[in-house]
Amino acid sequence: MLKRISFMLFIAAGLQLLSGCSGCNQNQGSDDLKMPDSLANDAPLQLSEELIGDVVQNISSPVEMAALIKSTGVEFSQRILNNPDRVTDYNTSFKRALNLGVYSADLGYINMFDKSSIVINYLLAVKNMADGIKVGQFFDFTALKRLAQNSSNLDSLMEISVSSMNKMDSYLREQKRSNVSSLIVAGAWIEGLYIASNVVEQTHNRELTDRILEQKDIVDILLIILNNFSSDEKFANLAEKMSALKDAYLNVKITTEVGEPKSMEKDGMLIIVQDEISHIEASPETLQSIINEIKEIRKTIVE
Amino acid sequence: MKRIIFSFLLIFAISGFTSVNAQCGEELLKQALKEMGDGQYIKDFKVDLKKENKDASVGYVRFSIILNSRSHYMFNVVNGSSNTENVILQLKDGDKLLATNFSKGKLYDKCQVIIGKTKVYNLEFSFKGGVEGCASAVLSLVKQYTAEEMAAQ
Repeated sequence: MLKRISFMLFIAAGLQLLSGCSGCNQNQGSDDLKMPDSLANDAPLQLSEELIGDVVQNISSPVEMAALIKSTGVEFSQRILNNPDRVTDYNTSFKRALNLGVYSADLGYINMFDKSSIVINYLLAVKNMADGIKVGQFFDFTALKRLAQNSSNLDSLMEISVSSMNKMDSYLREQKRSNVSSLIVAGAWIEGLYIASNVVEQTHNRELTDRILEQKDIVDILLIILNNFSSDEKFANLAEKMSALKDAYLNVKITTEVGEPKSMEKDGMLIIVQDEISHIEASPETLQSIINEIKEIRKTIVE
Repeated sequence: MKRIIFSFLLIFAISGFTSVNAQCGEELLKQALKEMGDGQYIKDFKVDLKKENKDASVGYVRFSIILNSRSHYMFNVVNGSSNTENVILQLKDGDKLLATNFSKGKLYDKCQVIIGKTKVYNLEFSFKGGVEGCASAVLSLVKQYTAEEMAAQ
């Protein structure tokens, strides 16, 4: 009888171990992943972690901005990007999270232009920042480096690095560290807009200009999130700068034209065309004022 | 003898347990990425719907996403191999259905949409009849249009 009970206990323990392992890739030792400094947030939040996570997930991917920049035909410029040598200057979790976003947007831009010669420096910067906030486990640097060494692999590299960022974001939300993911998203969003602003100043490209102006609603979303953590002085300062950007967007007018819903067939596949089209209006002065605020926030983040 | 049968059943149960996980895990995403085509990978969505009790309907899982104006997106889905029904994807603007992979009684593994307005959209996944199932979906960017190209659509 005793043997049988022992056997059952052994089996139960085995099953427990198995079920515990089913999420091993997502939940490794939460205790050693606590934030080392001010990003361990204990202050009560006005918005729930779940709601913030949902909203953060909404901010669109820097890859789309990079694709739009490439479509303008403008030449690649490394000068616009944040210098990867600056990683040693970022010695707080707050700065590391923001600049993880910045470097990931830079990486998207570099990949889009197939610049394999500098991609490893930026991968290292991303890895360095991610390790600094205890989420480096989502980046298989050896595999990424191997892909980066061959320019024909840049599509796979892009796929893996974007996927790693997505996994990291999910993990942070599961761990209720939405303050960290909101900084990463804010950093990536600002860097995407910063690169786009520089290109717009050179090219006056309409599509890119409209994409910058369309971000009017996104500023509101980000501001709500940052204000949620404003019991931390660093968050409050960033929110203040974001608030100035929101003010710069006030004179942007977005109207919606509603037409007939359309569908078409291409290569045997049904494509739906949305029946709403937005139109954006803003004066050159408004655009310049927005660009100036974007540059100001970006300067605060990277310096 | 009983013990041998018991051990055998147990091993069978454990192997079943682990293979179900494999069917719904990272492999599904890899497959979805492989079937994505030439678009630019943007985001992936993991769907794993389970019944809370035997008689309950599973319902749906919802994600909210920002899609940008003048952008042509594709959603492709891959179903878990043990699913009894295939996943239904619905892209909604508020409550209004914008695009789906379920049309005229037929389920497709891809659906494409051209967006005219940058805003937050809802993406819902469910299984016909509210059954359990898992799936992986990938959102990719097919093309970005100019204002003129968009007007001509």
